[in-house]
Amino acid sequence: MHLSRRDVLAGGAALVAMTAAGGVRAQDYPSRPIELVVPWGPGGGADQLARKIAQLGEPEIGKPMPVVNIPGGTGATGMAKLLANPADGQTAAIYIADSHALLAGKNPRWTMDDIAPVAVLIQAPSFIFVAQDSRFKTWDDFAKEAKEKAGALKVATLGFGSVDDFTLSFLGSKGVKVNQVPFSKPSERYVSILGGHADALYEQAGDVGSFLNGKQMRPLLVFGAKRFEAFPDTPCSKEVGFDIALPQFRSLVVRGGTPPENIKKLSDALAKVAASDGYKAFLKEQFADANSFIDQSGAGAFVAKQLEDMKSAIKQAS
Amino acid sequence: MIDVLTQLGSGFLACLHPLTMLMLVLGIIVGLLVGVLPGLTLVMGVVLFLPFTYKMDVTNAIVLLSAMYVSGTYGGAFTSILFRIPGEPIHVPLLWDGYAMARKGQPARALGWTLIAALVGGLLSAVAMVVLTKPVAQFALSFSSPEYFAILVFGLCSVIALGSGSLANALISLALGLLIASVGTDAIYGAYRFTFDLPILADGIEFLVVMVGAYGVGEVLSRLERGFSSKPLSEAGTTRTELPSFSEVMKVKGMLLRSSVLGHIIGIVPGAGATVASFVAYGVESQFGRRKREMGSGVVEGIVAPQSAATASVGGALIPLLALGIPGSGATAVILGAFMLHGIQPGPQIMASSSAMVYTIFASIFIGIIVMCVLGYFAIRPLVKILDFPESIVSAFVMLFCFVGALAIRSNVTDLWLMIGFGVLGYLFERFRFPIAPLVLGVILGPLAEESFMNSMISFSNDWTVFFTRPIAGTVMALAAVTLLLPIIGMIRGRRSGDPTPGGTSIPAEPAAR
Repeated sequence: MHLSRRDVLAGGAALVAMTAAGGVRAQDYPSRPIELVVPWGPGGGADQLARKIAQLGEPEIGKPMPVVNIPGGTGATGMAKLLANPADGQTAAIYIADSHALLAGKNPRWTMDDIAPVAVLIQAPSFIFVAQDSRFKTWDDFAKEAKEKAGALKVATLGFGSVDDFTLSFLGSKGVKVNQVPFSKPSERYVSILGGHADALYEQAGDVGSFLNGKQMRPLLVFGAKRFEAFPDTPCSKEVGFDIALPQFRSLVVRGGTPPENIKKLSDALAKVAASDGYKAFLKEQFADANSFIDQSGAGAFVAKQLEDMKSAIKQAS
Repeated sequence: MIDVLTQLGSGFLACLHPLTMLMLVLGIIVGLLVGVLPGLTLVMGVVLFLPFTYKMDVTNAIVLLSAMYVSGTYGGAFTSILFRIPGEPIHVPLLWDGYAMARKGQPARALGWTLIAALVGGLLSAVAMVVLTKPVAQFALSFSSPEYFAILVFGLCSVIALGSGSLANALISLALGLLIASVGTDAIYGAYRFTFDLPILADGIEFLVVMVGAYGVGEVLSRLERGFSSKPLSEAGTTRTELPSFSEVMKVKGMLLRSSVLGHIIGIVPGAGATVASFVAYGVESQFGRRKREMGSGVVEGIVAPQSAATASVGGALIPLLALGIPGSGATAVILGAFMLHGIQPGPQIMASSSAMVYTIFASIFIGIIVMCVLGYFAIRPLVKILDFPESIVSAFVMLFCFVGALAIRSNVTDLWLMIGFGVLGYLFERFRFPIAPLVLGVILGPLAEESFMNSMISFSNDWTVFFTRPIAGTVMALAAVTLLLPIIGMIRGRRSGDPTPGGTSIPAEPAAR
C-alpha cells in the first residue's frame, strides 16, 4: 500500500484532533513554553524577528517563547524539526520567502499542507542597491549597460534558486541580463559592492540600513507596483516596465493540522504584539511595510499567493 | 591622537562603573566556560546570552558580549592542552605542541605560555584596533573571493607542516577531510552530494562532530586500549603555575609580534575569524619560524603562535564591525545583531555619533583581556589538579563532554552516531600513524575554500588566473606554493642523504606513551 504524504497528514490531523478533544484543549493552550524554531543562523533578519516576537509576545501569550536556531538547507533543516513535533502549536517556526522559494523548485521537502501559517509578521520590498560612489546614477544607466553588455554586470545575491534568482532571471528574460554572483554570507555580499567587487546588490533595505544611513549605499530600483515611502526618488519596477514583486516576507507557521483554536489564540496574541509601539518601531528600523501584519485569517492565502507569483516569475523567465 | 587618548581615558572611566564592570567580569567567566566545553561554540554561547542583554543598556550589552568573545578565544586552550579535546576549533593547533608539552610533564608551563600569548596578542591587537579602526576598515574592503580563496589555500597547504613524517599520509588524511566536507547540499547550486537520501546528511557533516569524535573519543579509545595506564599523567602532578620569565618572553618577541599582527589582520578580513587566524599562524611558524623543525614536539612557538593570533583576531574583527557594520566573524555577527536589537546600526557614523560608547567598548577589551588573564592564572592551579585523578575517571568525563558537545550542535541523535564513527576513525588513524590534524583542517576549511572558489569563478567568468594576477591573492598563493614545495624538496634531499624524517619532526600522536 502506498500512502501519500497527504494521507499521512490527514491521519495525523485526525489523531491530533482526537488528542485535542481529550488533552490539549484550546483553553489549556499553550500548556508550556512555545518553542520558536528559527531555521537560520543567529544575528540575521529571521533571528532578529524571532527574538523581538519572543520578547514582546511573552506577556500576551502568557508563556515564554524560547528561540532555537536550527540553520541549514535554506531553512529546510529547521522545518524538518517543526514537522517532527506534534501538531499542537507548542512548536512554531519562522518561515520566510527564501525557504518558501524551495517549494517552487524540484522535489521540495515539505508542501503547503505541512504548514499552517499563523501570521505574516514582516513584508519588505526588495531593492537593487549600488555603492554610493557607483558610476550608475539611475536605474536607466544600469539597465542600459546591462542591455548593451549582456551578463557583464555583476549583481551580488543570496544564491541560486532563491527569490533573488527568480527576480533577476525574470529581468534577464526581458533583456536586462546580469551575472548573478551568489554570496551566502551577508557580510561578504555587502562588502562585494562596497569594495567594488560587484556592480550591484539585490537586498531588502532593512538588512543594509546602516549602509543607507551612513551614505555608503543607495537604491536604484524597488521591486513592486509602487515606490517605497522612505525612498521617494527611487523608481519602482512597474514604472520601468517590470511587473514583478516578490517581497521578502517573514511569517510564523505551525505544523499543518494544528487545532484551529490554538492557531487563533496564537494569532490573536501576535496581533497585539503587532499593534505595540515597540513592534512598529521595529518595522520602521527594518524598512518594512508599516502594514506588514496579516493574521491567521489571511496569512494562509497570502503565503499561497506568494508561491504562485514565484512560479509565474520562473515560468516567464524560462 | 590626543583626542583618541582622551576619549579612551573616559572609556576606561565608564568601564569602572560597577554595573559595567560586573557585566565585563560575567562575560569573561561565561566566555571561559563556553570555551572549555567542546560542542558549545563561542558563537552559540554568545547567542545563548543575547536574550539576557535585551533589557540592558546597549553599552553594557556589547561589553558583556565582547568580553565573552575575548575569553572564548582562550578558554578552550585548557582542554586542548590537558585532555586533548579542543574546546573550540580555534584550539586545534594547541593540540600539537600544547598537549605534547603537557605530556612531557609540563602542563602548567604550557598553560602559562598560552596565558602570556593571549595577554600580549590581545593587548597588541587592542592597541591596533584603537589606532587603526578608520584607515584599516577601508583596506578590508579590497578583499574579495579570490583573496579569501588564496588565504584558505595557504591554510590547507600548512597541512604539510602539521603532518607527520609521511607526507603521503598527511595528504590522504587531508583528502579524506575534504571529502567529508563535501557531503551535503552544495552551497552554490544546492545539489545533493553523497547524501544517500538521508535527511541528516543533506545538511552536511558538522565539523564539530568530526573534531570532537576524532580527537576526544579517539583519544579515549586509545587510552582504553592501553588499559588507562598512561605514565606521564601521574608525573604531571606538578601543580606549580609556571609563567614564563620576562627574558624567556623576550626571546620569542619577534614571533609573538608576527603572530599577533597576523591574527589581527585575519580578524579584520570579513569571513575569517579566530579559527583561521590560529591555523594560519601555526602554519607560518612551522614554515618560516626559527624552530620550525621542532614544531609539533611540544615547543613554545607552537603554543604561542596560534593562541596569540586567536586572541589578536578579536581586536581585528571589531574594526570592520564598528567602522563599517560588517561582521568579520561569527561572534561579531551576533554582536552586530545585539546592536541592531538596541536600535543602533554600526557603521562609519557611530564613530562620530556614539563615540563615547565606542570608546567604552574599546576600553572594555583592554580591561577584559587583563581580567581574563588574572582569572586564567588562578584557574590553572585547580585545572592541572584534575590530571591527578585516575585516567579512567577523567576519560569518563571526557566522553560525557564529547556526547553533550555533539548533541548540543543541532540536537540530533544521528550526530552522536556520526561522532562515535569518527571516534573509531580517529583511533584507527592514531593506530596506523595517520595524522588527524589534516582531516580536521580539511573538514573545517574545505567548505569555505569551495565557496570562495566557486564565487571567484562565477564572478570572473571562469578565469582561473585571477588567483595569481590580483596582487594580494597572488602574494598569498606564492606563499602557499612555497609552503607546499619546501617539504617536498626537503623530502627528496632527505631521501638522497638517507635522512628518514625529513621536513620536520613527527606529530606527537602518542610519542610520550609509546
